[in-house]
Amino acid sequence: MITREEIIKQTNEALKKEFEFTDEQLISTAQLRDDLGLDSLDAVDMVVVLEQKFGVTLRQGYDLRTIVTLNDLYDFIEKLARTHQ
Amino acid sequence: MDDSNTVVITGMGAVSPYGAGVAALWEGLSSRKNCIHTVKELEDLPMVNTKVAATVPETDYSFIPRKHRRSMSRMGLYAYCAAQEALRHAGYETAPEKLGFFMGSTLNSISVWMELAGYSQGAHLELIKTSDFLQIMNHSPLAAVCQALKINGPAMGGSEACATGLMNIGLGYMAIRQGLVEQAICGGTEEYHPMFSACFDIMQATSKNSNDNPAAACRPFDASRTGLVVSEGCGLVFMETKKSAQQRGVPILAEVLGFYANTDTDNMAYPSAETLRKCMAGALEAAHIKAEEVNLLNAHATGTVAGDIAETQAAHAVFGPSLKINSLKGHLGHTMGASGCLESIACVNMLTAQQILPTNNLTQVDERCAPLHYQTQVSNTPLNIIMKNSFAIGGNNCSLLFRRPQ
Repeated sequence: MITREEIIKQTNEALKKEFEFTDEQLISTAQLRDDLGLDSLDAVDMVVVLEQKFGVTLRQGYDLRTIVTLNDLYDFIEKLARTHQ
Repeated sequence: MDDSNTVVITGMGAVSPYGAGVAALWEGLSSRKNCIHTVKELEDLPMVNTKVAATVPETDYSFIPRKHRRSMSRMGLYAYCAAQEALRHAGYETAPEKLGFFMGSTLNSISVWMELAGYSQGAHLELIKTSDFLQIMNHSPLAAVCQALKINGPAMGGSEACATGLMNIGLGYMAIRQGLVEQAICGGTEEYHPMFSACFDIMQATSKNSNDNPAAACRPFDASRTGLVVSEGCGLVFMETKKSAQQRGVPILAEVLGFYANTDTDNMAYPSAETLRKCMAGALEAAHIKAEEVNLLNAHATGTVAGDIAETQAAHAVFGPSLKINSLKGHLGHTMGASGCLESIACVNMLTAQQILPTNNLTQVDERCAPLHYQTQVSNTPLNIIMKNSFAIGGNNCSLLFRRPQ
């Protein structure tokens, strides 16, 4: 089963590539919208790249309002990955 | 004379195969620097006869904020750079209120479309990102540059293939004359894809005899020409009322004297000399000037056999045999939707420098082209008025007149 550390690593890699973030920006408490500047269009593209990365479907049941920080995002993916085991 | 609604150019911006900037464009044209090269993708397509094109040098565009860059394919990136240069050239660091923006392209980004088509064919539509769609709308470059540079006046774009750049200058000219806007950025943008070359090749309109010597591939008016060389870039001019420019105290680069457009309904691809004649004559009439007042015709002349013959015959009918004529496509290739404006920028620079640039690769004029004064050497000469032509596949023609500031 994929570990949380691996989820964080792969998520951050995808976000860095898609949105040109630096490692320094990707602290777990960073807020996607207010700290990282991701808007609703970015959120859609983030789902696309993370779905590719993890081979899961995020867009159903996905609600940006419930995912405020990077930690929330890691939690969401981890929960989904476990469901798909 | 009341010149309250005289339209002038006070800024210019260019991205061309010579690189970014109007200075690079002028330097490349003046020095006849070659920018046409072999394209590997074309070499790999045995059914395509032409193997050459001209492309904008690779550039790092990361200076454009990602938030705006995500909506820009290459032609959008070119447009951003050209628009910013035109704004600054006109004396602005940020766009003035109610600035109009008139720009289009022949097609939108074929590269991005190809990517989307790949998703579709592989039944992987879930891979489409919002940025893909934001890059392939017909007005994507126009919208993205407005967002990035906060251009908040009317933004609209004519799309008339090879005439797009000049048509949009005409559109901006009319919008300013009619009072819709006082200032506008106008022109065209285009990005190269081998598909462009392949499509024109099928229509037997490409250069095919100089694949081993790309610098000589595009030969407007020349007896040995076989067709055009596809190119890319973006040209934009900042236009405003003369009154606005004078109130702002900025230098006027050129006046736009008149514009005319018509449509050839005989054939989508083969121009009629008579329709082209009417187009040029219409521009003279709109500008209230006589044919003999025009010092130079900067022709559309792409280097196709039929197009160059028709245009020179039409020019001869309007101006007579003493007309000086040149084409810049021997230097630049055919930058498609950008060509009308990139070449207009060169016209403005020719007026400023009082210098006529020659037609590159013109060594022996095709005897089927009408007898005119074909310019083959740099000529320093008094220049007051230049006519610029742009004609599109589809039969969309336009002619516009520039005058040196009075």
